Amino acid sequence: MNIEWYIVLSSLLFATGAIGILIRRSPMVILLCLELMLNAGNLALVAFSRMVGNQQGQVFAIVVMVVAACEVVIGLGLIVAIFRRKLPLNVDDLRELRG
Amino acid sequence: MNFNEPTLDYAGLSPVIALTVGLCVVLLSAVFKPVRRSAPGLTLLVLATAAGLLIWQWGDPKDLVSGALRIDDLSVAISLIAILTAGFCVLLSIREPATEQAGLGEYHALLLGSVLGMVLLAEAQNLVTFFVAIETLSIPLYILCATNLRREGSLESGLKYLIVGSLGSATLLYGMAFLYGGTASTDFAGIATGIAHKGMLDDPLILVGIAMCAVGLAFKTSIAPFHQWTPDVYEGAPTPITSFMAVATKAAAFAVFVRFFDVALGPQVDEWQPALAVLAAVSIVVGNVGALGQDSLKRLLGYSGIAQAGYMLGGIVVASESGVSALVFYLAAYAFMNLAAFAVIIARERETPFGDDIRAMRGLGAERPLLAWPLTISMLALAGLPATAGFIGKLYLIEALVESDYTWLGVFIAIGTMISLGYYLRVVATMWMRPEGGPATTPAIAGASPEADPIDPEAGKRLYLVGPALLAAAATVFFGVIPQPLVEFAERAGSSLF
Repeated sequence: MNIEWYIVLSSLLFATGAIGILIRRSPMVILLCLELMLNAGNLALVAFSRMVGNQQGQVFAIVVMVVAACEVVIGLGLIVAIFRRKLPLNVDDLRELRG
Repeated sequence: MNFNEPTLDYAGLSPVIALTVGLCVVLLSAVFKPVRRSAPGLTLLVLATAAGLLIWQWGDPKDLVSGALRIDDLSVAISLIAILTAGFCVLLSIREPATEQAGLGEYHALLLGSVLGMVLLAEAQNLVTFFVAIETLSIPLYILCATNLRREGSLESGLKYLIVGSLGSATLLYGMAFLYGGTASTDFAGIATGIAHKGMLDDPLILVGIAMCAVGLAFKTSIAPFHQWTPDVYEGAPTPITSFMAVATKAAAFAVFVRFFDVALGPQVDEWQPALAVLAAVSIVVGNVGALGQDSLKRLLGYSGIAQAGYMLGGIVVASESGVSALVFYLAAYAFMNLAAFAVIIARERETPFGDDIRAMRGLGAERPLLAWPLTISMLALAGLPATAGFIGKLYLIEALVESDYTWLGVFIAIGTMISLGYYLRVVATMWMRPEGGPATTPAIAGASPEADPIDPEAGKRLYLVGPALLAAAATVFFGVIPQPLVEFAERAGSSLF
């Protein structure tokens, strides 16, 4: 099996996610980008698992999916709370705390 | 692939089980009317049980759950620091507006969840448990930061922490994936043999993995240049949670940092040592310079925490038994120093309209000497003045650095300490100098706006605030004058890795 293509794809996904977090302004899109980064990790884990020939990486990837789901739930909950307070849903306008 | 049933050592797992059961009990207590108000008491009971079970396991190192976790003196010591901090946090949260808005049971259950993550993280010696534990620690904290729903800053800090924290986790995970690809193992011991087998610089996978894991951990421990979130999140979160985050998160993250680098990556110490040393030096400079000129005390302590993280990273850089001992000693001392300061900040936040602004401390020495002394001791100890635990801690760190030929980093610690006097002494001076023109009462910041928390003019006399402040300050001085008990504690923790 040729591992390089999987690693190239996963690093592209990771980079897309990281760039998205830096340049997109909506918290929703930022959450999506975080998911993209975690899933890039998952793809790498599964690909490496095939490469090295043991299953630990696949087990790890399943555990990561659970964790990623938890993170999204909390993120969406916070976004709803901010929406209810009628605060602007734009990370640039959230500047009560000076960066 | 066949699954083998792991042998479970229930005695070793008992602290984790106690915390998990306690978490559920505290959460359920919120739905039964007769016990609804008892969540803080129950939480303290659970923490005390877990601490008792940990002390019972002290001095009996063993692998748990097929080597996924390891309970040894290092993990017990760090878990005890985390539990102690959580206990202080429960006391400081009494009558905190955030607990009312989030619900007493939920607030305390989340706190226990975070403590559970910290205990697991201190014990983790497998990449999977490492990742799960660091998320178990972080996810409840994201919510706890946002619990003061009435304050805009609290929600904002929760979201900010979530984004930055998850970015750190994702980077860490990606690093772990590469490390697994390079060494074919998720066990720390297996990674160590894998690296020793190949030689780190020969394999780009391992090198990328180590670099990304270091970045992810640097996010979690707020080491510069990955620190930008720290002052913001510290300022926005409810203050008892800030104190918990500042102390316990740092202790747990450093525990896994030291285990990961000294055990899993131990064979190739020469390659990562200089990189971490540079990070430590940058942290010391950025933290200390950033703290100068901060008016918000929580931001000031946030920046000071970045600098202190730089000092503590020195204990990992040296990768020796004395380094780990110095790190554990410093973490314990750091807990006492910071808790004393935060208890006073919380008391003043509730009784003055200034929030955590440095103006809240004006004339404190004359008005509330029982609050002024703990804060003075804490500031002097953080600056590293003799006869405090902070001084002994820095001494051990510098000694460990000099032993392993990192004298230049020791010099950085000394220079950082000198800069830090500039902002710590400013707080002390504000407290003890007579206020000009009587105590100022005009609320200049958000104090009078409707979203501000109610003011309790007696907060500075309440036993549940003054007591912890005095206790933590007394411990700071005690371990500065008679460091022997704490040194033995730290030395046993340090010897468990080497």
